[in-house]
Amino acid sequence: MSWFAGLLGPWRGFAVTLRQMFRPKVTTQYPEEKRVKPQRFHGRHVLNRYPDGMEKCIGCELCAGVCPARCIYVRGADNPPEDPVSPGERFGYVYEINMLRCIFCALCVEACPTEAITMTHLFEMSVTSREDAIYTKDELLVEPDGTPRHPQPEGPLVDLDELRRGHGWLRATAPSGRAAYEGIVAWTPSATYGEPPPERGQAGVTDETDGES
Amino acid sequence: MTERILTARMEAHPADSHTLARYEATGGYTALRKALGEMSPADVAAEVKASNLRGRGGAGFPTGVKWGFLPEDLRPRYLVVNADESEPGTFKDRILLERDPHQLVEGIALASYALDVHHAFVYVRGEYPKPARRLQRAVDEAYEAGYLGTNILGSGFDLEVTIHLGAGAYICGEETALLNSLEGRRGEPRIKPPFPAVAGLYAKPTIVNNVETISTVPWIVAHGGRAYAAIGPERSCGTRLFSLSGHVNRPGDYEIVMGMTWRDLIFDVGGGIPDGKALKAWIPGGASAPWFVPDEHLDTFVTIDDCAAAGSMLGSGAVVVMDETTDVVAAAHRIVKFFAHESCGQCTPCREGTTWMERILWRILHGEGRPADLDLLLDVADNISPGLRWPPAMTTICPLGPSAVSPITSIMRYFRDEVEAKITRGATVG
Amino acid sequence: MADAPDQVSITLDGRVVEVPRGALLIAAAIEAGTYIPHFCWHPRMKPVGMCRMCLVEIDTPRGKMLTTSCTTPVADGMVVETSSPVVKKAQEGVIEFLLINHPLDCPVCDKGGECPLQDQTLAYGPGDGRFVEEKRHYPKPIPISDLVALDRERCILCARCTRFSEEISGDPLIEFVDRGNHVEVNTFPNHPFTSYFSGNTVQICPVGALTARPYRFRARPWDLEAVEAVSTVDSVHSKVSLEASMNEIVRISGVDCDPTNQGWLSDKDRFVYEHLLADDRVVVPLIANGDGFREASWGEAVGLAASRLADLGGAVAGLGGARSTNEDAYVFSRFLRGVVGTPHLDAQLDDGLAPEFAAAVEPRALIDDLDDADAILLWGPDLKEELPVLYLRVRKAATAGAKLVVVHPRRTGLDDVAAHTIRYRPGEGPALLRRLAAGEGDLAEARDALGAGKVVALVGRPGLAEPAELAEAVAAFALTLDDARILPLVRRGNVFGALDMGLAPTLLPGRVSVDDAERRRALAARWGSLPDGVGMGATDILEAAASGRIGALVLLGVDPVRDHPRPDLARRALERAFVVALDLFVTDSTRHADVVLPVAGLGEIQGTVTNLEGRVQKLNRVVPPPGQARPAWSILDDLAAALGSELEADAVEKIFEELATLAPAYEGLTWDRFDWAEGRDGVVVPLEGVTPPLRHVPSDPGLAVVSERPALHLARVLYDDGVLVRHCPSLASLAPEAAAHLHPRDASVLAVREGDRVRLEGVGVVELPVVLDPTLAEGTVYVPFNLAETAALGAVPSVRIDVVREAGS
Repeated sequence: MSWFAGLLGPWRGFAVTLRQMFRPKVTTQYPEEKRVKPQRFHGRHVLNRYPDGMEKCIGCELCAGVCPARCIYVRGADNPPEDPVSPGERFGYVYEINMLRCIFCALCVEACPTEAITMTHLFEMSVTSREDAIYTKDELLVEPDGTPRHPQPEGPLVDLDELRRGHGWLRATAPSGRAAYEGIVAWTPSATYGEPPPERGQAGVTDETDGES
Repeated sequence: MTERILTARMEAHPADSHTLARYEATGGYTALRKALGEMSPADVAAEVKASNLRGRGGAGFPTGVKWGFLPEDLRPRYLVVNADESEPGTFKDRILLERDPHQLVEGIALASYALDVHHAFVYVRGEYPKPARRLQRAVDEAYEAGYLGTNILGSGFDLEVTIHLGAGAYICGEETALLNSLEGRRGEPRIKPPFPAVAGLYAKPTIVNNVETISTVPWIVAHGGRAYAAIGPERSCGTRLFSLSGHVNRPGDYEIVMGMTWRDLIFDVGGGIPDGKALKAWIPGGASAPWFVPDEHLDTFVTIDDCAAAGSMLGSGAVVVMDETTDVVAAAHRIVKFFAHESCGQCTPCREGTTWMERILWRILHGEGRPADLDLLLDVADNISPGLRWPPAMTTICPLGPSAVSPITSIMRYFRDEVEAKITRGATVG
Repeated sequence: MADAPDQVSITLDGRVVEVPRGALLIAAAIEAGTYIPHFCWHPRMKPVGMCRMCLVEIDTPRGKMLTTSCTTPVADGMVVETSSPVVKKAQEGVIEFLLINHPLDCPVCDKGGECPLQDQTLAYGPGDGRFVEEKRHYPKPIPISDLVALDRERCILCARCTRFSEEISGDPLIEFVDRGNHVEVNTFPNHPFTSYFSGNTVQICPVGALTARPYRFRARPWDLEAVEAVSTVDSVHSKVSLEASMNEIVRISGVDCDPTNQGWLSDKDRFVYEHLLADDRVVVPLIANGDGFREASWGEAVGLAASRLADLGGAVAGLGGARSTNEDAYVFSRFLRGVVGTPHLDAQLDDGLAPEFAAAVEPRALIDDLDDADAILLWGPDLKEELPVLYLRVRKAATAGAKLVVVHPRRTGLDDVAAHTIRYRPGEGPALLRRLAAGEGDLAEARDALGAGKVVALVGRPGLAEPAELAEAVAAFALTLDDARILPLVRRGNVFGALDMGLAPTLLPGRVSVDDAERRRALAARWGSLPDGVGMGATDILEAAASGRIGALVLLGVDPVRDHPRPDLARRALERAFVVALDLFVTDSTRHADVVLPVAGLGEIQGTVTNLEGRVQKLNRVVPPPGQARPAWSILDDLAAALGSELEADAVEKIFEELATLAPAYEGLTWDRFDWAEGRDGVVVPLEGVTPPLRHVPSDPGLAVVSERPALHLARVLYDDGVLVRHCPSLASLAPEAAAHLHPRDASVLAVREGDRVRLEGVGVVELPVVLDPTLAEGTVYVPFNLAETAALGAVPSVRIDVVREAGS
């Protein structure tokens, strides 16, 4: 029997191929086409501002402290009283992330007491030198109007719109994960984008109403 | 019940009972003459011990026993008279200072003689300018007449008396805080032990007694300790001044022999409640004492031990009567606010806790209370005075913090429904 | 029940433990392994029982009672519960109370991450707060001094800072204000918290209420890398932890080392790290070029230095080493004697004491001897200004009951706690000593105080204008007492270590006399050769250099122009000689150098140092030296190699091993011993070898310097214009105003008032404003040493004073 089965084997293989030819294709024509990423996708970080333009980062270094890859370097400084950068005494004077080391675990986002650092959907960050992989505060911080910055111009490989998506996963953890807080947006969104919409499981959102808005 | 020991003179001679002439004319300074002439210091102390006199400042500790705590071999010793009478509703020491200061001066001289003290201090409440003036005049007169100073009445006994005016802190009525204040430090209670009798003023052995206690000493020396002990019930002997205030027809200071019932005190002595209203509650011994209510306590005897057994105290003898129209939450709030204001700020539970309780009561009073506030209030109180029992346990150095708990436990025990109604129905004031 | 007489047994949570009799319950429990949370209690201060965090339940005849364990001494048979439900409830209550008015701004708070309030909230707190009202608010941090900022919102009112300043440092400039819920810590109006010890309050603050302004927002606790070391600011050698972030030392904290600092530091110890980060630090070798310097390679600089030194043969001298480690000093000693072949070397600049006396006077007191001394004689510098941590130890002993006799030309920091204070005019010291020894007149009581029991004599130079021999005379007097020990006071960093390493013309390494033939043989065998004869001391060296008899000077971390009593002489010497300087900075002295070689500083090198009681402790390294700076021993090794000799100094452990075999006092010490167990507190090396010459007895008339002119009292202040302080931005501004201090009666004779200007003529001439000082001995003018305006004056016994009259007045 075994010799006969061996003879059939290749045909079985061809059958798989044949079957697949008629199935819908999953290949996307990256970079011309891009997939919609899950809402909690861990992409490039941004540093947010309050609606009045103040920076949210207070330079507390908790993100740097929690970072398992030790890729964040923060230094705080005294806020100039007459022209404060952030509310309170201290602001993030230096903020750098080495994206070559970053493992996109989002512990920095989790640790941040002011929700200054959040993650977006942008993942295309190829660079031609190691130095360029270190994102400084200039690149990470959103514009006073809330527009995110990126070192590279918008193009086939860089969809800056992805920088405007994100935040979503925060709702699952804040503040303290109690059922009583479900649906209550308990953080200040970044300047441009208003309140993020509720997520699945929150405030009566069902699968039908869920989705990218 | 007509016995008058402390107030006989001021009642008989209201115009000039505070003068040396009147004092001498009514038998003043005879006890001092007798003591310096015929008695040894030990004899005087023995008479006081035999009198079973219990301290009138609040704690009711036997005075003779307290005097016995002084270490034999340490000199100098100091006597400090606590005239920092500042508990709300208390005004008994005031009339003694104002109307019969020489009685106190003679008492100081006698006590100092008994204790081998050569420098005595009187710490008078800062808000008592007139009593302080009268007392100072009396002391000056006594110096001039040779009842104070060096070689008093030719006996070779020397005594300096210094009057010190406080600066407006209730906490300085606590004896160790008083000593700190007298030394020029912040008026904060000290940790005991050591007790003042061992290390008090300037770290020397010190006896701190109340004005009323010391004012009683001349009578005891003149008439003998046994005579005093024979007045009234055995363990609460002698007469005692009560400051009656609030909703009574005849408020004021009354010197009574202990042993009558509260019904007698409020309705006979105080003349009952105005306008025929019903009695709701009364504070038996100053703002820090848990309250009494008519259903349970009207027939309780007015003695130190009976009141303690009933879960309160005679304390400073301030009786505040509340009729049926009283808002108990407002009353409790007012008392807690007093203690929060007067906390010295040393111990965390008292400093933060009294203010917190005051704010919760304010909220309830102003219709902003939440159902959880009742348990919260009791739990905060419990964190200051664990177990909420009487006499209070404390997480603090001195009893001021636990004192603020008394009105709260009282209203929660007797008037919980009224407090709850405030939370469910909203504000009644403001 | 306990067997040992000094032990009692208590039951701690059901466990029977033996604890020292008389100990406080909290200390005994923590020692026995049961931690009791606390905020206000500090093991080095008296308990106050204010925070109520340390409540425990104790069985009493009246039932279980909640009591603060910090105010309760242990008693035999005591039964204690530290975690019963009642105790836990009380702890949770206290934490909740503390937090209701705490701003919880931990992310921006410097204490966040190392905060006792955070830690104990996590461990003992209720986990939730029920306080819904508005918290107490104050303006955010207010500067209460140049070094300390106060945030009253964060304060939990534990009174550690106020008690420290009253009880420990003796300058109560910070107190509680108001009462009840309004209590706040603050300074008195218009009196900043200008204590020399203010940094300690920052360290003991259990929250972030007091923060150090130089450290503010510089780093977070979790990115600090720390090593143990000792402070080499002065010769007490307080134990510190050097804390660095991103390869920069950003903080120095005190470490509780029982025999020395007991946890405390002076602010100079604490903030001196700033000089390491100074912009003008020398980080590459420099060679003189016209008026300035040019950068050079190590090869060129060392080659140039070596060729000039070789040309000069033995006409070379070495100065310095008192700020270096023992290893640097040893290699310097070997380099000068064994390689260059000169006997002329001195670690001191004639501003200290005789080397044999300082290194080996017997019987030597330990700092710990102060604690059980019956009397303390202090005849020397104002400890608060020169050895501040020793000041704290003397103050502690004096407040505990030791009779302190202070002899000084003016008021000192210790006068408050002294039993007897004696003033004298500089120059009249010997006469005063004679009268004190005899107990004449008003000195009888002070003499009696010294007459009984154990006496510790702290002897040094009260001022630089007084001769070093006076200290020896005082020591000689002290030794006539029954039970006296001597602690010689010399200030500079590792001067005792440098003397132990033979950096003195009369000493060889290990406190050995230079005449000791046996030791000379041993050294010569190892070093190759040893020059004959006793060399010159610092002043002679400078004179020889100024006159050309010495052709070259090698300076190791020394600034003779600023520190020598005769600044003019130092300047002339350095201008004329070929100078090779190993230093951190271009200073007033190294400015005249021909070659400046950059050395590594505190925290950049390992090594051992020896303090004034002979305690050897280890310095660890936490950051790399900047630029091309290197340890001095390594530079000297290169220089020796360029001169054709081999020092074999290629690792600091090896140098230590070599000095531990060749220096008798250090025999048997091993490098690892300082890292473990008791060795972490250092090892006191025994006194051997040199019999100190107590050359002067009190009656020696040669000491009497009495002049008709005003005597000069020239003494150091903590913050001067020295190299280190000048390069610490936080400290430099704290230097006092330069002034000529006069007794009011002397001032009235001169018809000057406070603020008038006078011209003082000593070695040089300086013009200073007058400050009236009624505590100063009459006939004396006091001038702080080494401030920019006073540097030229020089140390002379007496000065000429001219009043500067404004034109037209």
